[in-house]
Amino acid sequence: MRRLTGYLLTLWIVLTVNFLLPRLLPGDPLAALLDPQNSDYVFDAEVRAALEAYYGLDRPLPQQYARYLTGAVTGDMGRSIRLNRPVGKLVRTHLPWTLLLTGTALILASLFGLLGGTEAAWRRGTWSDRVLVIAGVVAGNAPVYFVGMMLLILFGARLGWLPLAGGRTPFARYDTSLTAVADVGKHLLLPALTLTLALVGGKFLLVRNNVVSVLGEDFMLVARAKGLPTGRLKWAHALRNALLPFVAHLAAHASMAITGAVFIETLFNYPGMGRLIFEAVGARDYPVIQGVFLVVSTVVLTANLLADVLNAHLDPRLREA
Amino acid sequence: MERHRHLGSELAFGLTLLALLAAIALLARVLAPYDPHAFSGQPLERPSLAHILGTNDAGQDILSELVYGARISLAVALGAAVGTVVLGTLVGGVAGTVGGWLDGLLMRLVDVLMTLPRLPLLILLAAFLGSGLAQTTVVIALLFWPATARVIRAQVQSLRQRGYVRMARSFGGGPGYVLRRHILPQIGPLIVSGLVTAAGRAVAMEAGLAFLGLGDPTAKSWGLMMRFALNLPGLLLTDRWLWWLLPPGLCVTLLILALTFTGIGLENHLHPRLRRL
Repeated sequence: MRRLTGYLLTLWIVLTVNFLLPRLLPGDPLAALLDPQNSDYVFDAEVRAALEAYYGLDRPLPQQYARYLTGAVTGDMGRSIRLNRPVGKLVRTHLPWTLLLTGTALILASLFGLLGGTEAAWRRGTWSDRVLVIAGVVAGNAPVYFVGMMLLILFGARLGWLPLAGGRTPFARYDTSLTAVADVGKHLLLPALTLTLALVGGKFLLVRNNVVSVLGEDFMLVARAKGLPTGRLKWAHALRNALLPFVAHLAAHASMAITGAVFIETLFNYPGMGRLIFEAVGARDYPVIQGVFLVVSTVVLTANLLADVLNAHLDPRLREA
Repeated sequence: MERHRHLGSELAFGLTLLALLAAIALLARVLAPYDPHAFSGQPLERPSLAHILGTNDAGQDILSELVYGARISLAVALGAAVGTVVLGTLVGGVAGTVGGWLDGLLMRLVDVLMTLPRLPLLILLAAFLGSGLAQTTVVIALLFWPATARVIRAQVQSLRQRGYVRMARSFGGGPGYVLRRHILPQIGPLIVSGLVTAAGRAVAMEAGLAFLGLGDPTAKSWGLMMRFALNLPGLLLTDRWLWWLLPPGLCVTLLILALTFTGIGLENHLHPRLRRL
């Protein structure tokens, strides 16, 4: 319960920062949109009216705040200046792609991180462990946009195996749902691989170091003395006890995945939230930038809460905290 | 021991690479064949003796852009890292020393900033604050201090419980005295490794923001070079990416890895018990 309060408090801070930031900053970026003298002036009268209604800049601040909060709760986040469409609608079409991309990458990276980390810990000190550790550091720290570019050039442009951009073939008409899934999967492969590479390094190092410290515990000695087979020792005893810190870090990884997704979607022209915010930045489309920030933060906070609940479920010691 | 020899190699690798890149930045005027802003050739020239990495779409020498780009990356890294560590040490130090409700409040703020997705927040701030190099530096520092603050606070708290610190306090040593005499010397190593880690993040973020079009459009950083290169239609279908896109990407990656390995090496060196490798 205390945890939930903490998250609600964080959510409220996010909402408030998102509201105050453009209003308190010098230069008044929102007013500029409605000022005919300014270069940012919105010429489309319909969009301008929607903006005026949404931001309500001529009303007192508390009224604007109330309007903004009710909007956020009901999914009304203003109207895109560039596309003249409600931000809520844009989010609804873009969010599933980001969830697909980050979800796939998080699952793959977790799988490889757990398997590789345990194996490396088991062989700690050998050259294969050392190579894996250095590869993990490099993969986890190399900028994701550069790794993505190289994969794009190799598999997309040079070899031509995979599509260069997009979430699916434009204007494609699918005969069966199977071909639709195959098309989406083909487009997902490179972006998801890039994000997996970016995430797996950190997960691998985390698991490896946890398993290494578990290996020194007394119960491992006892299990070994009982004559348990290596497989059981490795997976049922060592890995299992290193799982807790792994789950505890899942939330941080969700936030990292979103950061990676913004770059990757921009690079691969993938139709998710990252691409949406990138295009909005270029057009100074403030309602969209704010809306994406709000929704993405809420998603990450929810992921945090879920990871916390899962962690408390796995570790009885945490239930009371 | 065998292990020690191995650990030293990370620090050596990181520092060598870092020194090399710093030398390039300092000697840019000597090393760069042209002024990076001068139109020294035809647009989109292929590599030749006159232009070793060819020219960009405006006819500017790519090698010179690359050499001068080192200055921007390193300047932002240095500025943002110092800002991050000063803020983090201040907040962490105050929270750890004062304790009570102030500690609770500050740590709550740290939690909030650490859970939020960094890049969307960075984009939001950059979109409203503008995109000069100074803004980029400040915004990065404003977002990355919480990690340092958390580490410093934990160390300060554990130090306060140590026998000799409690003794000093019970003999009438004031908070300022204890901080100067006993706490600061102990958190020095943390500050150094925090600086290096923060610098690595700052390089990645500066280049990333420029790559997204949120950097200073007049400062030719490596990130901006990548962005301009990718803006050329069909870049990836020719071999032009080899001398236009690959070099700045490699430079950013090498600088980040140099800082990462220096950080790991320093951590191992200063804190053998926290060994990560």
